[in-house]
Amino acid sequence: MPQVKIVARNFMDMVASLPAFKLDKLYENSFICEAILRSLPPLAKKYVLQMLYIEGPVSAKWLEEWVLPDGVSKHKVAVDRLIQLRILTETIERKKETTYLLNPTFQSNLQKHIVHGGVLPREPMASNITVRLPTLEDLDAYAVQQWEYFLLHLINSTEAEKSTNISSSMMRIFQRGLLNQKDDKEPAKLTESGFQFLLMDTNAQLWYIIREYITNCEEHGVDTADLISFLLELSFHVTGKAYNLNTLSDIQRNILKDLTDLGLVKLQQGRKESWFIPTKLATNLSISLADTSSRKQGFVVVETNFRMYAYSTSKLHCEILRLFSRIEYQLPNLIVCAITKESLSKALLNGIAADQIISFLQQNAHPRVAERTPSVPENVTDQIRLWESDLNRLEMTPAHFYDEFPSRDVFEATCDFAREYGGLLWENSKKMRLVVKAEIFPHMKEFLRKQKQ
Amino acid sequence: MTPVSSKLYTDDVSLLVVLIDTNPFFWNSVKSNLPFSKFISHVLAFLNSILLVNQQNQVVVLATGHNSCDYVFDSSVAQSQNQRAEHLLQKLEEFVDKDESLCREESVDGQGFSLLSGSLSMALCYIQRVFRSGPLHPHPRILCLHGSPDGPGQYVAIMNSIFSAQRSMVPIDACVIGTQHSAFLQQASYITGGVYLKPQLLDGLFQYLSTVFATDLHSRAFLQLPKPAGVDFRASCFCHKNTIDMGYICSVCLSIFCKHQKKCSTCGSVFGQAQAQDSSTPPNPNPKRKTPMDA
Repeated sequence: MPQVKIVARNFMDMVASLPAFKLDKLYENSFICEAILRSLPPLAKKYVLQMLYIEGPVSAKWLEEWVLPDGVSKHKVAVDRLIQLRILTETIERKKETTYLLNPTFQSNLQKHIVHGGVLPREPMASNITVRLPTLEDLDAYAVQQWEYFLLHLINSTEAEKSTNISSSMMRIFQRGLLNQKDDKEPAKLTESGFQFLLMDTNAQLWYIIREYITNCEEHGVDTADLISFLLELSFHVTGKAYNLNTLSDIQRNILKDLTDLGLVKLQQGRKESWFIPTKLATNLSISLADTSSRKQGFVVVETNFRMYAYSTSKLHCEILRLFSRIEYQLPNLIVCAITKESLSKALLNGIAADQIISFLQQNAHPRVAERTPSVPENVTDQIRLWESDLNRLEMTPAHFYDEFPSRDVFEATCDFAREYGGLLWENSKKMRLVVKAEIFPHMKEFLRKQKQ
Repeated sequence: MTPVSSKLYTDDVSLLVVLIDTNPFFWNSVKSNLPFSKFISHVLAFLNSILLVNQQNQVVVLATGHNSCDYVFDSSVAQSQNQRAEHLLQKLEEFVDKDESLCREESVDGQGFSLLSGSLSMALCYIQRVFRSGPLHPHPRILCLHGSPDGPGQYVAIMNSIFSAQRSMVPIDACVIGTQHSAFLQQASYITGGVYLKPQLLDGLFQYLSTVFATDLHSRAFLQLPKPAGVDFRASCFCHKNTIDMGYICSVCLSIFCKHQKKCSTCGSVFGQAQAQDSSTPPNPNPKRKTPMDA
C-alpha cells in the first residue's frame, strides 16, 4: 500500500526549490536574506557570519580545518544547504582545490543589517492616531480562534458553526489529500494523512496550508517569488502593531484577505483608512519548524486507568480526542474521555500510528503532569503500542510455491539458492516443497532453467 | 513528526551575557592600539549578528567599570529594533559618568583594576533568574571582553563565581583585549569549558568575535575552537591578596596564605600544634605545594 505521508516541509525547502534566477532576485530583499539566514542549520549560520566580511573566495580547507571528526556530517549538511540555497557558490579550480564564494547580494544585505541593526519593513501606525488596537492577548486569542474555525471547516466538522469567507474552491484545495470522499451521499472521511495533519502542531499545520496555498496561487498565475517574499516580509512585522493597507500592492491586498481567514492577520477598519495587524501566526512564519516556542500550553492529563481529562473549551480539541478515544462526558471547560481498545483500533485502522497518538499526548500534556517523567503513564503508552502490534499479527508476503522437484539434489540446491538470496520462506524436505518470496522469482526462474539443462 | 522532548527550544538558541570592560585606566593606556570607540563598534556589530542569526537569541550587556558594574542593554526588553545601538550607547554613557563620580571617592582596591567579580556575579544572577523563569529557557553563556589587569583582591570572589558558573553549567568565554594574559579568565574558561582567546590583531576584533565567540553551544561540539596554550593556575593569598606560587593551605577550609599563620583567619582553626610539641624541627619545614585549582 503506497503511503502518502504529510511531510511538513519547511518554508525554506520551498525557497530552495525555486529556480536560480528567482532565488537571486529574492536575495535583493534584505528581509528574505535575514529569514533565510535564520532558517539555516546552526553550523551554516556560523559559516555565513565567519565569511561575512571576507571578500573573494574562501578555500574549502579553511572551513574544514575547524571541524572535529565528529562533526564532518554536520559540516557537509551545512555546506550543502548553503550551496543549495545559492548562498555559497562552489568552484573547483584546476589544482583540485575547492573554493566557496558568498553570494555578494546576500553578503552586502547582511553586512548592512549588522552595521545598522535592521529596519522594519514598513512603518507601523503612528502612536498619535487614537484607535483602539486589540491587546496582544486578544490578538492571540483571535488568531487561535480563527485557526480553529478554519481547521473545523477543513475537516467538515458539524461542530463548525460560523462560516468562513474562504471560498469553497480554495477549501477543496486545502482538503485535497486530507479528506477523501467515495461518493456524494456519504460525508467525506478523513484520510490517513488527514489524521496525521490534525495531530501536528499549529506551526507544522500552518506550513502545510501555506504550501498548498502557494502552489494554488502558482496555478493561478501569481508569481511564487513575489508571494514568498511577501509572506516572509510579513513575518518581520511587529505583532500587534497596525500597518496601513495603502502601503500594499493590489496583489498583496488580495493575499492578505485570504490570510485574514487563516488568522495570520487581523484587519481593522479606521475612519479613513484600513489597517492590518499581524498576529503571532504570521510572525512565526519565518521561524523554522523545529522552533516550537509558539507551542501552546498543554491541556491533557492521562491517568493510569486509561482515562483522559482534557482541560479545554475548544471544539477542535474535542474532535481530535474523538479520533482515538471515547468521549464520556463534557463539562464547559473539561472533556473526559477514555482510551479503549475499540476507540484505539478505530484510530489505528484509520492509519494513525500509535507513536503519533503517544507523541500527541506527550506534547499536549497538562503543565502539572508535564513536569513529571513520563508525562503519560508508561502502562498506557505500552498498551497503546501493544494494541497496535495486535493489528499487525498477520503479515502478508507475496510468494511463489514450488513442488514436484525431479530429484532431491535439485530440491536442495534450489533451497540453498533461495536461502542465499534471503528469499526462502518455508520448506518441506519430505514432500519436496518450498515457498519463496515473489521478489526473487526471476532469479529462481533463471536458476531452475539452468538446472534443467 | 518530531520527537518530543522536555526541551522546547532548538539547540542553538542562546542567551549571551557580554561583560564589557569600561575601565578608564585601561582604555587610557591602550589608546594607540584600539580606541574604545572602535572597540564598541566592533562589539555592536557582533551583538547585531548574534541577534540576527536567531530570532530567539537574547543578548544582555553588562558594563564592568572601575568601581561599579551595571546592566546597560537587554534585548528582551521591548524596544525599537533600529534604536538598539543608540539605546546601548546612551546607557553606557550614563554608566561611565556614574562610575567616574564613584571614582572620586574611595577606590575599591587600588588603581587600574576593574570590577570583574561584580559583573560576573551579576551575570550569573541574571542567568539564574532565567533558569528559574520556567522550563523554557535558552542556553546561556558569558563572554568577558576584558582588558584590565587582574585585581588580586578579587581572587576569592572571582573563583566563587567561576565555581558557581561551573555548577550551573554556564561556560565563560574570555576575549582578552589587553596586553597581558589574564590568569583569572584563563582559569574561568578552563574550569567552565569556555573559550579563552587573546587576539593578536585587535583591528580585526569583529572577525575574532564572529568566528570564535558567535559559535553557539550546540555547534561547539563539532568544531575545533582555540585551546589555551597554558593556564596560569596561581592563586592569590587570602591575607595580603598577593599572587603566589607556593603558600600555605588551611587543612580545614582550604584557605590560602602566603606566610605561616597561627590561626586560620577564615575558619578559625588553630595551626601549628605539631611544631609546638616538637620544637627541634625548623619552624618552616616544607611549605605545602599549592595544588592546581581545577575541579
